Amino acid sequence: MAIEMKVPSVGESVTEVTIAAWVKQDGDYVEMDEVICELESDKATFELPAEAAGVLRIIASEGDTLEIGAPICKIEKGEAGLASAPEAPKEEAPAAPAESAAPASGTGETVKVTIPTVGESITEVTVSSWAKQTGDTVEMDEIICELESDKATFELPSPAAGVITTMVEEGAVVPVGDLVATIAAGASAPAAAPASKTDSPSSSPATSGSSDSYASGHPSPSAAKILAEKGIDASAVKGTGVDGRITKEDAQNAQKSAPKESKPAAAETAAPAPAVKGSRDSRREKMTSLRKTIAKRLVSVKNETAMLTTFNEVDMKPIMDLRKEYKDKFKEVHGVGLGFMSFFTKACAIALQEFPNVNAFIDGEEIVYNDYVDVSIAVSAPRGLVVPVIRNAEGLSFNEIESEVVRLATKARDNKLTIPEMTGGTFTITNGGIFGSMLSTPIINAPQSAILGMHNIVQRPVAINGQVEIRPIMYVALSYDHRTIDGKDSVSFLVRVKQLLEDPMRMLLMV
Amino acid sequence: MDFDVIIIGSGPGGYVAAIRAAQLGKKVAIIEKYNVLGGTCLNVGCIPSKALLDSSEHFHNAKHHFAEHGIKINAPKADLKTMIGRKNEVVEKMNAGVEFLMKKNKITVYNGFGSFVDKNTVKIAKTDGGEETISGTNVIIATGSKPLILPFMNFDGERIITSTEALNLKEIPKHLIVIGAGVIGAELGSVYGRLGSKVTFVEFASSMIPTMDGTMGKELQKSLKKTIDAEFNFDTKVTKIESNGKEVTVTAENKKGEEVTFNGDYCLVSIGRRPYTDKLNLEAAGVNVDDRGRVAVDDHTLETNVKGIYAIGDVVRGAMLAHKAEEEGVLVAETIAGQKPHIHYNLIPGVVYTWPEVASVGATEEELKASGRAYKNGKFIFKALGRATASGDTDGLVKVLADKETDEILGMHIIGARAADMIAEGVTAMEFRASAEDLGRISHAHPTYMEAVKEAALAATDNRSIHS
Repeated sequence: MAIEMKVPSVGESVTEVTIAAWVKQDGDYVEMDEVICELESDKATFELPAEAAGVLRIIASEGDTLEIGAPICKIEKGEAGLASAPEAPKEEAPAAPAESAAPASGTGETVKVTIPTVGESITEVTVSSWAKQTGDTVEMDEIICELESDKATFELPSPAAGVITTMVEEGAVVPVGDLVATIAAGASAPAAAPASKTDSPSSSPATSGSSDSYASGHPSPSAAKILAEKGIDASAVKGTGVDGRITKEDAQNAQKSAPKESKPAAAETAAPAPAVKGSRDSRREKMTSLRKTIAKRLVSVKNETAMLTTFNEVDMKPIMDLRKEYKDKFKEVHGVGLGFMSFFTKACAIALQEFPNVNAFIDGEEIVYNDYVDVSIAVSAPRGLVVPVIRNAEGLSFNEIESEVVRLATKARDNKLTIPEMTGGTFTITNGGIFGSMLSTPIINAPQSAILGMHNIVQRPVAINGQVEIRPIMYVALSYDHRTIDGKDSVSFLVRVKQLLEDPMRMLLMV
Repeated sequence: MDFDVIIIGSGPGGYVAAIRAAQLGKKVAIIEKYNVLGGTCLNVGCIPSKALLDSSEHFHNAKHHFAEHGIKINAPKADLKTMIGRKNEVVEKMNAGVEFLMKKNKITVYNGFGSFVDKNTVKIAKTDGGEETISGTNVIIATGSKPLILPFMNFDGERIITSTEALNLKEIPKHLIVIGAGVIGAELGSVYGRLGSKVTFVEFASSMIPTMDGTMGKELQKSLKKTIDAEFNFDTKVTKIESNGKEVTVTAENKKGEEVTFNGDYCLVSIGRRPYTDKLNLEAAGVNVDDRGRVAVDDHTLETNVKGIYAIGDVVRGAMLAHKAEEEGVLVAETIAGQKPHIHYNLIPGVVYTWPEVASVGATEEELKASGRAYKNGKFIFKALGRATASGDTDGLVKVLADKETDEILGMHIIGARAADMIAEGVTAMEFRASAEDLGRISHAHPTYMEAVKEAALAATDNRSIHS
């Protein structure tokens, strides 16, 4: 007997995953829970364990993008007569949440809508808004509500078509797995019922266009031509005609994710424009959900905080001298290079403990002060900016900070960071200097209250004891939320960081 | 280049392509070897045969049906000369109409024989003498077809004739032998049958109009037997046709392998048509033809193997029908203009202009059986139809074939008065993939022939026709 494995649900906002690599090959014998392939979403990378022991039959190949629930492989149980394989008990999808176990059936039963698992560290979410109200008719996969975790906002699709009854109010905090709504699936039109009854079931008061007729998605002759010319497949268009047929208007309104049609005739009548050399093409791509989340959060920070930036300059000579002297020894002893990050992280950790309101954040009417320092490090990953967290930086030694930085940066580059590794953080350090930035005003990583911006190190003439000297100088910037941090504290904080960096011995002596 | 588009042949494919291309802003030339535009359809095909068919139908009605309607007249006489004259006037009117359309759309018309010099150059041997060479970015081959004649048939254009000559006979044949009981044979056979000729059909296949749904052939034969003096010889293979100038003798082999002979004063050979590419000099352009002499084209764009050269209508694969050629003409013109049109070949209706007319679209019952598709069959006969009874045209039926599960209409077949007009509803319904019940739920005016379509659709839906 073979069981079919499907792409498990990995998070509410994740609708599709890409097969990064097959760890096992077609025909291989796999044990239950053995990792058979690696999946990638826009958020993270996941490993897919075998649901049973048996011979693997691959359905989707590497590089394929699959929707959640799509078949990915089969496992032929008891194949190959391997007695060592303990009879795998049953089709136990480890990662499959309740959602996938409740398919739309349209037979009048009630489908429960629960909060699916988002990530290991997330135990509850906030229902930020309902897109549908009690009594509304919803289609399968239609978005019924928006959920928020501290990491991102997710949309919850309906697991069935029918009439919805919401169970919690907007703003409610709901634990993962809890019921938020029910859907009376029977209220939807019976899909594609063959018309063989003596009395025709004169169209039930169901939603129009929800019926899954054989003609759904069939374009009218003019619609077909328009779609062909736009290069849009009819299957990508939602028909609004009878039984979901695609009307001319549907085709006219259909938009490709790619560029709009080139405008051919426009140039003919227009006055000869000055000749432009080179391509004038532009292209459109769908925003990834990660990008959308970043965009939304950055804008909300700018809108919801009183953010401003203070600057200072740091003479890097002492640190560079120190590094020059101990670099090799450090590497020899700790197995990790001595970079600038450990100095900055350490200096910030010390300064943060001295200026607790820079390490605090606002929660409603209250200010939360953190006695620990979790430093988020902004890392440029292939898919966009991510911010893994160095925990309890105040207690870490230089080599522990450096190892942690290397570990997190490597995972970020390989898209292997887990959600818990990116969650939390009380302060952020971002280094635009590695790309050559001289000066910038970073945006706070909400809900934190401040962020330190590092920049490039440039040889500059400075006055030292009345003499002009050439020193390696880095400008540093601190963006902070003026709501909680007064100018005195923010400026003093940055001066303190400067002081610690220009005289690293202070960090040892804590002075 | 002199032109954006050069079209060789001004039949319904060619002239429609010319107009559509002109509408899309192209500079268009059309070349016609005859002095009149319109091609086979307009000059020696659809239009003249319909003119004669209707004349013969009027005569037949006057002779056989006026009395029952309460119209008393002396025995009418068929005046073939006047009928042919009227037909010629009809054709001339249509010729002028096409000419007007060319002018209106600023299309340059060349009267002469066009042939390829190379892929962009066409030489015109002008009808009024002289020669001209024109060049075009695109060339559309729309040269159509000619009646097919085999050597042993001894075609002479006098007694042994094709459809072309049959439209210009000087007398009504006493006994017309029709070789081939397909669309053309059935149409012209029924014209002369109605004018009083005895008509003997000799057909290689085992029914009339053998490519259409089996019910249609059977019903047509029944109806013809009732109304004209017709004799049918199926499964019969013609081996020789000879004429002595007054009489024609057809020698054939019947089903049992016995030699049979038929004697008549005229023999119409209507065994099909062949694509016409004679002297077109396709080689000069490098255009390929297929094993049946048809210009080979891409199924979607109708472009030949040579870029910029297209072919449409009877000269390419598919049914030899004027409306199919028209659709293809539009398709090519739009394709040249960068658009992406598409033709559902399955939904091009087939029509036979006999009386009663036959028309069909989609799959035949035979095809559905062969493909193993589960289907439902709904029929409605004209006898049960108010309008047909009132008019006295009670021969005929509508047959709707629908998918057993989804109720989607898969085919519609009509025989009876106005069938050719009625089939349009089937085509429209099928373009939108309507179900039989959809048609059954759409209001049809009463009393009309169209109600038969609704009733047949109801019959197909759930065997719930109201009036049968």
